[in-house]
Order: sequence, then structure tokens, then C-alpha cells
Amino acid sequence: MIRFVLRRILAAIPIGLIVTLGVFALVFAMPGDPLRELAGDKPIPAAVLAAKRAQFHLDDPFIVQYLLSMKDMFTGHFGTTFGGGDIADQLRLRIPVTLKLATMSLAFQWIAGLLFGLYAGFRRNGVVDRMLLLSTLVVLAVPGLVLYFAGQFLFGVQLKWLPVSGTSDGYPLAYLLPATCIAITGFAGMARLTRTSIVDTANADFVKTARAKGLGEQRILWHHVLPNALLPVVTLMGIDFAGIFAGAVLAESIFNLPGLGQFLFQSIRFHEGGVVVLLSTLAFVMFIAINLVVDIVYGLIDPRVRNV
Amino acid sequence: MRRVTGVVGVALGLALVLSSCGDGKSSGDGAGGGTKSEVIAIAADPLDYINPLNENGSPGIQVAQAVFAPLVATDPNTGKTVNVMAESVTPDKTSQTWTIKLKSGNTFQNGQALTAKDYVDSWNLTAQGSTAWKNNGFFSKVEGYDAMNPETPDGATPKPTSVKTLTGLKQIDDLTFSVKLKVPFSQFGLTLQYLGLAPLPEEVRKSPDTYKRKPIGNGAYKLDATWNPGDDIKLAKWDGYKGPNAPEADAITFRFIPNADTAYNEFLAGNVDFVDVPPTKIKTFKTDAPDGWVTATSSGANYLTMPAWDPRYKNPKLRHAFSMAIDRKAFADLVGLSTPSNGLISPDMDGYRADACKFCNFDPTAAKQLLADAGGFSGAVNINYNTTSATGQIFAEAIGNMIRQNLGLEVKYTGKQGSEITQLADTRKLDGLRFSGWGHDYPSIEDYLTPMFKSNGDANFSGYNNPALDKVLAQGDAEPNPEKAIALYQQAEDIALEDMPLIPLYAKQNAYLHSAKIMPRVSKFTGVQALYSTFK
Repeated sequence: MIRFVLRRILAAIPIGLIVTLGVFALVFAMPGDPLRELAGDKPIPAAVLAAKRAQFHLDDPFIVQYLLSMKDMFTGHFGTTFGGGDIADQLRLRIPVTLKLATMSLAFQWIAGLLFGLYAGFRRNGVVDRMLLLSTLVVLAVPGLVLYFAGQFLFGVQLKWLPVSGTSDGYPLAYLLPATCIAITGFAGMARLTRTSIVDTANADFVKTARAKGLGEQRILWHHVLPNALLPVVTLMGIDFAGIFAGAVLAESIFNLPGLGQFLFQSIRFHEGGVVVLLSTLAFVMFIAINLVVDIVYGLIDPRVRNV
Repeated sequence: MRRVTGVVGVALGLALVLSSCGDGKSSGDGAGGGTKSEVIAIAADPLDYINPLNENGSPGIQVAQAVFAPLVATDPNTGKTVNVMAESVTPDKTSQTWTIKLKSGNTFQNGQALTAKDYVDSWNLTAQGSTAWKNNGFFSKVEGYDAMNPETPDGATPKPTSVKTLTGLKQIDDLTFSVKLKVPFSQFGLTLQYLGLAPLPEEVRKSPDTYKRKPIGNGAYKLDATWNPGDDIKLAKWDGYKGPNAPEADAITFRFIPNADTAYNEFLAGNVDFVDVPPTKIKTFKTDAPDGWVTATSSGANYLTMPAWDPRYKNPKLRHAFSMAIDRKAFADLVGLSTPSNGLISPDMDGYRADACKFCNFDPTAAKQLLADAGGFSGAVNINYNTTSATGQIFAEAIGNMIRQNLGLEVKYTGKQGSEITQLADTRKLDGLRFSGWGHDYPSIEDYLTPMFKSNGDANFSGYNNPALDKVLAQGDAEPNPEKAIALYQQAEDIALEDMPLIPLYAKQNAYLHSAKIMPRVSKFTGVQALYSTFK
């Protein structure tokens, strides 16, 4: 097991380099001058522009800029954004916010997805199954933006049950609405995959064999159907976890949560190459770690995978 | 930072109020019980620092206005300039050297006396390019700026200069200093109300970064609580402020909500007392808050900008043809809350003339004739629009359709990021037309004409250059009599309208919502200001 983990981590290093370099290149290639974004339509004097460009190494070649920002990242000198904000301060503020939001919305999404999926899978073509199909279609069809604003307006502005935006109401209250909204957009895929997987497994030959052997339904369900049906679901959970960052960008913007997603959005808008790479690296490390966890869980569920 | 219109002027500009508002029963949170407190929503990214000398955008200026006080200000009732920190501002006969005397007895919020040295040293610090503060350019009119900020070719690293002071800035005694300008400038007294000229105390000047989140100002409010990243900015009245027109509120909270629609929803939920109406709500805000809205002209003007570097657009007749092919009334209705422009300056300025433009009426027949006189146009007219603006493409297509239908020209559109458009225009590589907007920093029509139309002006978006206009502007700058100066500036406007590097389009109003608890100050001279709310 230890060797397996180490091998995976070593393999991630070159991929990480390629990913960060790619992201940096993309930001670098964005049209427009980052410092002009700061100015709006008011002119910035040449002397100030020149000083800022020197401060942020903007006139250096691409690869030098990349290496400098990698060096800063690994030595913990995060410096400031173009606008003068302290990046370390921002990370301290934002990492907990995104973690709270992500864990809460994933919990909602997984619980709802699994429960609905399992029930619908076992009671095929029943009322719940039909309802699920319909509701997931609706959820998949509604854009996140519309759902978020509708939720905000209904529960925040009209009913006043939950905060409209911001974190001033603290955890968990301030996170309930955005987490629920992310969960609603995310649970549909989970529920449908679980249902399909249960149905497929229930019709598999080995389940028929188990029945023919005269095993009880409970035993078949817990020992034969579920472990096999949950394999693809675990994979989806891993992908979900990585994708939560993308959902957070929109949710954090609309619900004004000072998280990493909002920071990423601002940084892309201001062409903050260093910050974007920093955040991408964070996301990448998370992604690698989660993949590792998923593979280990796989091994626990399915003995066949252990020695791959 | 809001784009499209320069918004520094919002805080300072004149404004014309076109509506009154009732006192309804919209809710504001009455936190603080007996004290007069208000929560102001600002739809922008949270600030990283409070420092007026390094701030030229509306969000930062709004906060800095509460913490810092300017030398002079515009009286909201009369529109006249009144002294705030200054005792007197006196030009010499030529308007080239200005003597500024401070009132005695003013201090910073750390208890230090406010002296002429504080101004001179703060200004010198800002005028140094290496300090990299946004209001550096303001000092380009002062003698000695060029020695401190030597011209560097594009892309070259600036030569380090050992010059640390402006030769034109002289401290005379504890409370008096003088400013010698490169050339006479009759409007300099008006420019002193710009908050970007606020003083910083010595400890802040020594280590500005230490004080990014702990400003020490000289204004009516001081920071009331530690301001960490992610916190609202909480201000409390500072009893050491002795200047005129102190606001009524005892406590002010600035809450930053980057998404403007979310900020608006926070207002509807009763959690903030004041919010800007975002463009998406222009059609609904009056029904959303029937008793709590105000509008005022935004002290800015919006234009369609011609590329002076493209010979196809060179003939003024062609530009007049474009101008007369545009149905401004329809376009202003499309933008919403807007009035068609008939000149190059904002309608609320001293010296504005409603009939300045002779080629801004909608007349397709005359437009076609002018196009023919100009010898037609070869190729397609390209209209650039800002992809980061929700309305950019819609407005571009509206203008494009008018040009296509009324002049029979082929039109195409290019969407780009605003900063890219600016960059291409600055390097004279942009193909075709673009939208631009401008808001003044100080209430003078000169602040429209110099930046946009003077050769190499700060905001000369079109690359326009006409020595005759430069000459009239210089005469206006050297004219100490305000009426005569305005007449000269109007001549400059006439020249610019004749050449039409910028086609006037519309002046937009801003709309705001306020809770039942407060009534923001609404003045035709200073616009709508939540900072100066009265409490019911």
C-alpha cells in the first residue's frame, strides 16, 4: 500500500508541472494588459505602469515569470496581487470558506443522490423512480445561475429564512443556501448513476446465481449488489469533489462568500498569473489526493483492484 | 472598478436630480438603536487598502471620503467651492503659482497636527513613479514632475532617478505652501477638491504598507474596528474633525458585495440601507422600491470614438454623417435612464450648452448627403465592443444597425476585453469604432476637453490632434477670469465638434435605492451621496 501511494505521488509531479505551466501560459496569453484592468478608464501614468511592471516582473520572458512565481509559491512568499492585496491574507481568509462550502454541499449532494438513487433502483418504475427521473431532468435543464438567484430571492429576500449573502451569519447558517443550491445542481447525476448501477447489478448473472443458491434478499442486497453497484458511484464522488471548485466559483460570486472560487474569478479577470497558478496548484494537489483516496476506497470495496 | 465611464467624478461631480422620493416603509436594519448608523453596499471587490493617494476608482474613493478630508469642496447647495482644510487658495496674476494656506488647529486621527509639510511630503511621495500610486499623474502639471518621472520608451525599465521632490512644491511656513505649475492653469483651484490630494501623516508616509488596513486620516470618520480581509469596513464618527459639513451618521458600515444583483437583493431583504441600481434592474427598480429610489445624472458623458489613425475615417464630413445617422433618442431609450447628448461635456457642468452640436440631430437624408460629399466609405465599418460588459454587444449592434440602414454601409462587430481595446487604441492599432466614456475629476468643463481632445491628452482615446484647439485650451488655462475662461473652453468644444473625433451619444443617470431610515444627500452639484444622509 505504501509503495502504491508513493508511486502515485511521484507520478503526479511531472503532471503538476505540465498543468501549472499550461495554466500560466493560458493566463499569459490572455489578451489585454493586466495593469490596465486595474485602471478602468482612467489613464495610469507611464512612470507608474513601468514601476508596477518591474515590481511584478511583467516585462520578463514567460518562462522567467513562471519560474519566479513557482519559486514564490514553494518558498511561501506569496507577495501581493497587482491591486496591492496580500495574497497570504487572502488564502487564510478563503481556504476555510471554500472548505466549509464544499464539504457541506458534497454531504447534501451525496446523501440525497445515494438515497434517491438506491430507493429508485430497488423500486424500479415506482412513483419515486418516476419523480426522480422528472426532477433530475428539470435540474439538469436549469442553469446554475438561474437556480442560485431564484433560491436567493425566494429564501433570502422573500421568505427571509436564510441570509441573502455573505458570511456574517457564520457557519452553518450562512452556507446552507449556497450549499443546497450547489447540491441540487450536483445531485441529479449522482442519483441517476446510482439508480442505473443498482438496476444493472441487480440483473447481473452473479445475482441470479446467488438467488438460485437460495440466499436471502437482504444478504444478496448487502453482500452482492451494493458493493458492485457502488464502484462507479465512488468514482463519480471523486470527480464531484474535484468539480466542486467549479461550482464554487459561481456560488461564491452570487452568494458573496469570500472563498477560493471568488478569488480565482477575480484573479482571472485581472490576469493575475501568479495567483491563478497558485490556486490551480492547490486544486491540482487536492485532485491528486482525492484520486488517491478513491483508489484506496476501491481496493477496500473490491478485492480485485488491490493488486493492480 | 467599474468600467465604461470614468467614475472618479461620481464622488465629486455635479448632478441633476430628476426625481424626488417619498418616505415609504422599506426596511433598514436599525442596528445600534439610538445611534444614527447606516450600512452602505458597494458592488465591487473588497478594498485591499484605504489610501486616497493610490485610489482613483469609485469604491475606494467612497470610503476614503469618509476617512479623509480634501483641501476644498463643492458646496452642495450653491455649487461654489468652499474651503475645508484650506484657509485660502490664492493664485498669482498668471495663475501659474498657487499659494495654499491651511486652517490652524486641524490634526490627523493620531493626534498629530496637520501641517503644510504633510501635504508637500505626501504629494512628493505620490509624484514619484517608483511609489507606483495611481494619482501620480495628477502632479504632472507641477514643475519638476518630468525630472522625477523621466520618459522611458515602451517596454524599457524606467531609469532610477534620484530626484525625490517636485521643484514646484515649496513649504513657506507651518501652514502655508506654494505650488508652481509648468504652465498657467486657471482651473487649478478647482482641482484641489480631488481627494487624491489628501495628506498622509508622517508615520504612514514612512511605511505605507504597514498602514494599508489601518488608515490614519483627517476626515470626519475613523476606523472603528480592526479591518481584516473579508470584513466590512466599520467607521465611527471622529470627534477631532473640525471642518465644515460633517455628515450626520454616527456610524457607517461599508459592505462590499462584488455581484451587483446580489447587493440589490441584500437591499430588498432589508439588510443594507443604500445600494446602486445595477444595469439589470433599470426596468424594475421603481416597482421594487416604490418609496425609496433616487436618480441623478452621473456626471459623465458617453461617446462613439473614431480612430484618427485610420485614413478612411479622416474626413470630418464622414464623421458628421455617422453622427446624423444615429437616432440618439432611440439609443438612449435602449440604454435606459439616459438622455441623448448634444455636446461633448456632461449636461450638469458650468459652461454646458444644450445646442453645442450642429451635427447631432437624427437626419438620415442629410447623413447620406454628407457621406456622398465625403466620397463614401470603403470596406466595412468595424465596431468594437467590450465583452466584459453585459450590454456591450447589444449597444454595438444598435449603433451598427443605424449606420447600416441609414448610410447603406457594411458593418461588422468585434468583441474584446475592455483592457485589450484600450491597449490597441493607445498603440493606435485598433480597427474601427469603439465606445468610450468620461467622468470628470473636478467640476470644470476643462476636465472634459483637456484629457480627451488635447494632443497627447491623458484620455485622448481617438488619437486626435489639432493645434488650433490646443492653443485655445492654453488660452483658457491662462485666463484668470472664470467667465472668460469658460468662453474659451467652449471655443475648444466647438472645434472638437467640428472635427468630431468623438461622436456624442448619451448622458446616463445613476439610480440608487435607500431605506426608509435615511435620505441620502441629493444635490445637482454633488450628485447622490449616502455618506451625507439625513436620518429620519
